[in-house]
Amino acid sequence: MKNLATALGLAGFGSHSEADRSRDQFFDWGVVAIALFVFASYFLGAKIGFALTFQPHPVSVLWPPNSILLAALLLTPARIWWVVLLAAFPAHLAVQLDSGVPPTMIFCWFVSNSCEALIGAGCIRYLIDRPVRFDRLRNVGIFCFFAAFLGPFLSSFLDSAFVVFNHWGQDSYWEIWRIRFTSNVLAALTLAPLIVTWGADGIGWLAKIGRWRFLEASLVFLGLLSVNVLVFYKLTPADSTLLYLPLPLLLWIAVRFGSRGASAAICTVGFLAIWSAGHGYGPFSTRSAEENALSIQMFLIVMSVPLLFLASVIEELGKGEMTLRGREERMSLAAESANLAFWTIDFERKESWMSDKGRAIFNFAPEEALSRELFLSRVHPEDRVAVDEAIERARVSSQTFEFEYRLLRPDGQTRWLISRGRYLRNDQDRVNELIGVAIDVTAQVQANLQLRLQREELAHLSRVALMGELTASLAHELNQPLTAIASNAAAGRRFLTLGSPEPEMFDELLADVASDARRAGDIIHGIHHFVRKSESVRRAVNLNEIIREVLRLLHSDLLGRATAVETQLAPNLPPVDANSVQLQQILLNLLMNSLEAMHLTPAEKRRILISTECEADSVVTSVRDYGSGLPKDNPDKIFTHFYSTKSTGMGMGLTIVRSIVESHGGELAAENADDGARFSFRLPVAAKNETGEVA
Amino acid sequence: MSGARELVCVVDDDQSVRRSLRRLFRSAGYAAETFASAEDYLAREIFKGPICLALDVRMPGLNGLELQKTLESRGACEQIVFITGHNDVPTCTQAMKNGAVDFLMKPFDGSELIEAVKRALGRAADDLRKRNERREARGRIDELTPREFEVLRFVIMGLLNKEIAAEMHTAEKTIKVHRGRVMQKLRVTSVPDLVRISQRADVSPARKHA
Repeated sequence: MKNLATALGLAGFGSHSEADRSRDQFFDWGVVAIALFVFASYFLGAKIGFALTFQPHPVSVLWPPNSILLAALLLTPARIWWVVLLAAFPAHLAVQLDSGVPPTMIFCWFVSNSCEALIGAGCIRYLIDRPVRFDRLRNVGIFCFFAAFLGPFLSSFLDSAFVVFNHWGQDSYWEIWRIRFTSNVLAALTLAPLIVTWGADGIGWLAKIGRWRFLEASLVFLGLLSVNVLVFYKLTPADSTLLYLPLPLLLWIAVRFGSRGASAAICTVGFLAIWSAGHGYGPFSTRSAEENALSIQMFLIVMSVPLLFLASVIEELGKGEMTLRGREERMSLAAESANLAFWTIDFERKESWMSDKGRAIFNFAPEEALSRELFLSRVHPEDRVAVDEAIERARVSSQTFEFEYRLLRPDGQTRWLISRGRYLRNDQDRVNELIGVAIDVTAQVQANLQLRLQREELAHLSRVALMGELTASLAHELNQPLTAIASNAAAGRRFLTLGSPEPEMFDELLADVASDARRAGDIIHGIHHFVRKSESVRRAVNLNEIIREVLRLLHSDLLGRATAVETQLAPNLPPVDANSVQLQQILLNLLMNSLEAMHLTPAEKRRILISTECEADSVVTSVRDYGSGLPKDNPDKIFTHFYSTKSTGMGMGLTIVRSIVESHGGELAAENADDGARFSFRLPVAAKNETGEVA
Repeated sequence: MSGARELVCVVDDDQSVRRSLRRLFRSAGYAAETFASAEDYLAREIFKGPICLALDVRMPGLNGLELQKTLESRGACEQIVFITGHNDVPTCTQAMKNGAVDFLMKPFDGSELIEAVKRALGRAADDLRKRNERREARGRIDELTPREFEVLRFVIMGLLNKEIAAEMHTAEKTIKVHRGRVMQKLRVTSVPDLVRISQRADVSPARKHA
């Protein structure tokens, strides 16, 4: 409605919103404008209809008011259809009263005309969402059947009955029916599409079309006009074969300018043809008025229906193409932003395609034909065999393959990629196509690597710090064998001075010296191993052994703090996949925490319980103390960075413990127990492997 | 090198240390025994002769300082040389205050330990001799009657018989008899000897009445 008003230069009236209108319908200027406009066009349409009547026959060849009414209903919401009908009625009266028709007949005609418009508009409104456009095949089909055929078909029965009932005219019922039917079909096809297409969109779009297109439209319309004038007006009646002359131009318009152009062209041709015939010119003026009318109607109907369909099909195709292109563009945008490479290889047609981004990733030349060999030549030599095998497996089984590998590009760059692809089979179950996608994950891989390095670095620093806390204890551990060695040496010298060396005793002494030296060496080796930057090698490790080693390291500290350690180690504990140094770190951290926590515990109650047990597929190790316990308000606080209860602590210990446990695929838990805390960590049992090494 | 009458005991929880120290002491000619803990040592019957402990500070159960205290309360005469792996000044101070002979840091020079042990044993022997003397002196003094004991205390105060008689409200003659008895029972012939034996037995001189 708004567009209709705009199209007619009544912009000021059409500016109310839909909500305003429903609230204040009676005084809505937009509705009033529509009513006035419907009145005016109905009146004008009727006048034109009279002008197009072939004298002396009383029925018009083309009766516009009905299709004007139909178009008005199609353009307005069903809510105000009654306004449209009410506005059309006075126009109908005004026109017909002039012609001296009795009032009953006038009213009956209005009823049958309204019926026709309502049948058509009602069906269309039910089947098609607003706005009604002629740019889709389905819409045009629905319009042609319901509005152009069914409406006139049904209402003509009523109309003819009224005419016969009122004893108006001399024609028989069926004659009246036939004349009215064809006239209304033609009117619906010629006028309604024009009004609806131009009314719905307004004329704003005209400003947006390009100069050349505008020129083309003007030229082709001028051409159409000239040809029509030539065919329907200038030529002698005998040249009826020239009727096909406008056809190329009509097709041109339908193809190039869609439903808008086609409806305008149909209207132009229709009016010119009817007007010419009515004035005795052209190919349709040779026979009686009735025959002329019928043939011109048939000609125009047959011409306009395919033209409307053609225009809609063309528009629909154009739209589909645009959607497809839009989708392709979106895809390639997604591909580019996600570093994706799409590719296909068609084995039957020997064709291959890869997205530009993909060619850039793989460093392929723009037109280089893809092949498995070419692809493999780019794969890093160390990954090549594995990738080739994966592809071969997928080819044989026709399954999807996915693998991560490295590319070694000719420019020497290494990139990490994940490829996913599938072999497609044709109807004869033969592999005919390979499609796939590759994603460049170099950035992620590098970030992960960086993260792992940082985590290792942090763990290493924390180990060094831990060692710092343990120096006194370690010095003591080292001093024991050194004391033994020194004492043995002194004893040996004294025995020699006494001059009575017993060989057996001496042998024993020297064996002790050797074993103590070894023991000292072991301790130093252990410290070195613990503190150095380990290249995270994981192997099957028994947690019980780790616990024993750590208790050896802590031996002196435990004594110094008068803390008893009890162990409940499960026999036959299955190994876990782990870095042994990092496991030691976990345990040392937990034990040191426990010792700290028991700082204020009376000496006789200081106790640490260490236990291991096997639960399903994991090994659970727990360290329980009788100290101050976890903070009551928020036990998880202990896992946050820089949280420490120790005056000297960095507050990184438990965070690092947790990160180590999690990097081993395990989990760390902490809970308060009676008079203390319990920390436990769960690690998955190592997968059985002949060599005991874990990949 | 005073022979089998001396004993050195090593108390340390580390086996290597125990073995090596026993060997070291034997090389120096001492009889040596080893104990893995303070409790083990306390379970041993008390050694009568001069005895020295080479004692570790940090041990499971009773630690070195605690054993030192326990031994003191037991009234035994062990002399202690501490051997420790920790440079721990407060512990060292405490140990020395409680009468330790020395406090050695592991690892130490063998002869250093031998020297310390020698000193300790010397001190132990000294101690033992003093104890014996006191015990003997005490034994003799215990033979005196209360009256005689009182006279002794006045004598070692340096009073003349006349003055003692005045203090004790008796005749000078009686005092002379008592004094003769005292000299006889304590088996001395001179006043200086009398004073020496009284000192050994911790007999304090009497106080003059005001």
